[in-house]
Amino acid sequence: MNKYNPPRMNPSSLRSRFATRFLRSLSKINAKKPTASSSSPTEIFRRYRRIKVAADKSMAYSVRSRRTWSRAMLWKLRTRPCCRRSVKTSTIVRKTRHEKQNKNTTTTTGEDGVVFGVEADELRELVPGGEAMDLYNLLDETAHYIKCLTTQVQVMKKIADFYSP
Amino acid sequence: MENQFFLNAGIPAHAPPSQFGSFLSSSPMSDWQSLSSAMEIQSQDCFPTTDYGLQYESALSSMVSSPTASNCNISGDSLMIRELIGKLGSIGNSGEIPRHSQPMLAASSCYSTPLNSPPELNLPLPKPMGLNSSVADFSADPGFAERAAKFSCFGSRSLNGRTTQFVPKDNGEIAAYRSNPLTPNAKLPRVSSSPAIKAMASQVGGTNKNTPLQDRSQLVNSQEESTVSEQNPETGLKGPSSRKRKAVPKAKTKETSPSPSPSPNASKVTEAKETSNEKRCKLSESNGNENGSGKAEKDAKGSNTKAPEPPKDYIHVRARRGQATDSHSLAERVRREKISERMKLLQNLVPGCNKVTGKALMLDEIINYVQSLQRQVEFLSMKLASVNTRLDFNVESLMSKDQIFQSSNPSLQPIFPINSSASAFLGHQPQQNPPLHGNIANGTMSPCSVDPLDTAICPKLSTHLPQINQFIETLPQYPEFCEGDLESLVQMGFGQNQSQEMALHSQNFHGSNQVSDMKVEL
Repeated sequence: MNKYNPPRMNPSSLRSRFATRFLRSLSKINAKKPTASSSSPTEIFRRYRRIKVAADKSMAYSVRSRRTWSRAMLWKLRTRPCCRRSVKTSTIVRKTRHEKQNKNTTTTTGEDGVVFGVEADELRELVPGGEAMDLYNLLDETAHYIKCLTTQVQVMKKIADFYSP
Repeated sequence: MENQFFLNAGIPAHAPPSQFGSFLSSSPMSDWQSLSSAMEIQSQDCFPTTDYGLQYESALSSMVSSPTASNCNISGDSLMIRELIGKLGSIGNSGEIPRHSQPMLAASSCYSTPLNSPPELNLPLPKPMGLNSSVADFSADPGFAERAAKFSCFGSRSLNGRTTQFVPKDNGEIAAYRSNPLTPNAKLPRVSSSPAIKAMASQVGGTNKNTPLQDRSQLVNSQEESTVSEQNPETGLKGPSSRKRKAVPKAKTKETSPSPSPSPNASKVTEAKETSNEKRCKLSESNGNENGSGKAEKDAKGSNTKAPEPPKDYIHVRARRGQATDSHSLAERVRREKISERMKLLQNLVPGCNKVTGKALMLDEIINYVQSLQRQVEFLSMKLASVNTRLDFNVESLMSKDQIFQSSNPSLQPIFPINSSASAFLGHQPQQNPPLHGNIANGTMSPCSVDPLDTAICPKLSTHLPQINQFIETLPQYPEFCEGDLESLVQMGFGQNQSQEMALHSQNFHGSNQVSDMKVEL
């Protein structure tokens, strides 16, 4: 895989890290596709799933374990039922358990506490690893998650635009 | 890239500690002013580093070793403080703190914000009695003047010369220190009136100099005494909250309290100041709670000051006026403020959230935005899955990288190009491309799965229906679907089964014939 980066681009930025990893995985996925059934919906569907997983994994790896959501996402990806290898998830499991221990009451008390109950739960479902966080950390993780998602979307969009005729 | 998002979240610069150290060591007022300005800047963040608070504490404690406070350790601070307050109170009137003294108090809180209206801290005289004893001790301390001199960094040059009376000097210095954040010039004149302080010092029980005494006391005790005085009332009124305070500042308070500040107001000021030093959070005087003695300043203090306190191991919060002061509510308030901070951050991240007010709506917008981003990722991955079948990926990955990094695509608005390109290859393969509308701005983006099936593919549709439906079902459901989306869909030129969403809902996706029906259904 080419490691070329334009000099003006920060090679260690989230975007470059994600783009590198994602392109690498994309090439892998495309390399093993059988040309015969490339156009069948099932094949496309399968590839879609793989690409989606690759995108999520690339993004999570780009963030490493600095963020709760990335850790949760990596753990989720590793423990996928379709994952062929048996991955040691003991460390990650411990982390998630630890995160759950830190869980405070989800519904904040106070004048606006009650309102947060429902939306916070929704947000927890959206953000990976958000179940075990209090509202403040959840908002923090959401902010970072949004940032990474936008980066992901931008990179993937550019790739798709590049390849589309 | 990541930092810029969280920079304004209050990540403190490292200027304060260094500045603090310099301020402690040097005497020019400019240091303090610079520090105060830095503090003001930091106040916004409310997260000054712990260093500067610690430095200050240590400096104060080292400088001022009042006889009462000398042997005080952290645990016994409250008692010492009460003594000091009593002593100080004896000097001046018990409980009378002139309104102008408030600015001093405010100045201490001004550690946090320059906009502290003077009468912010109604620290006045909670326990004047306790100060009486402290005053005597204070006056007896010969070295206090020297220590007070060390406070020259407070900026009161005029006071430095006055070594005759440690009280005035200390007062002046501390007053200047306290006042600097707010109005350096305004406070200095008062501070300079050391004769009043001298008189105050001499007259332990004199009530004539109450005004200047109180001023001085405020100035002097701004940090220590206020904390001291505040400790006293607070221990009674809000036990848990006072417990919150670190013992270290109390020690500092005690040590500095020897200065003959008559009024508990000053002590309150100092306490406020120390608390601000110790912890981060707001300094809002707990007027209603602590100042049982009717203080004129109360009216003036309507606003809560935010002190940029260094984040200590725990957060100290002062109860605001008219609010409960139990520890639970204080902690709750701190938490709410943190949460609102984060919400503001998120508001900047999520486009179109500026108009939304209220946390519930904001959260809804955020949820919608995250959902839309996730759907976009799925859509793009599906698109890539269909696109890359035809291209030699390895060769062009290099070039694609250039494109990725060259063009900046900050907003998600230009989704339409993708849709057009998607339609371009709709003719080649069946695709389930949920078109992403440009409604991301209002956060109500609900990507509809536009017709992935071209007319050319329609014949295959029936055969591929189960798989396609299966695939469609994997896509997230789109509960929100505004009519505007439909119109934009039509405009995009997807004349066929644009209402893929409807297919999702209705599960009867048979082709373009159903477009109109689906639309009606929706």
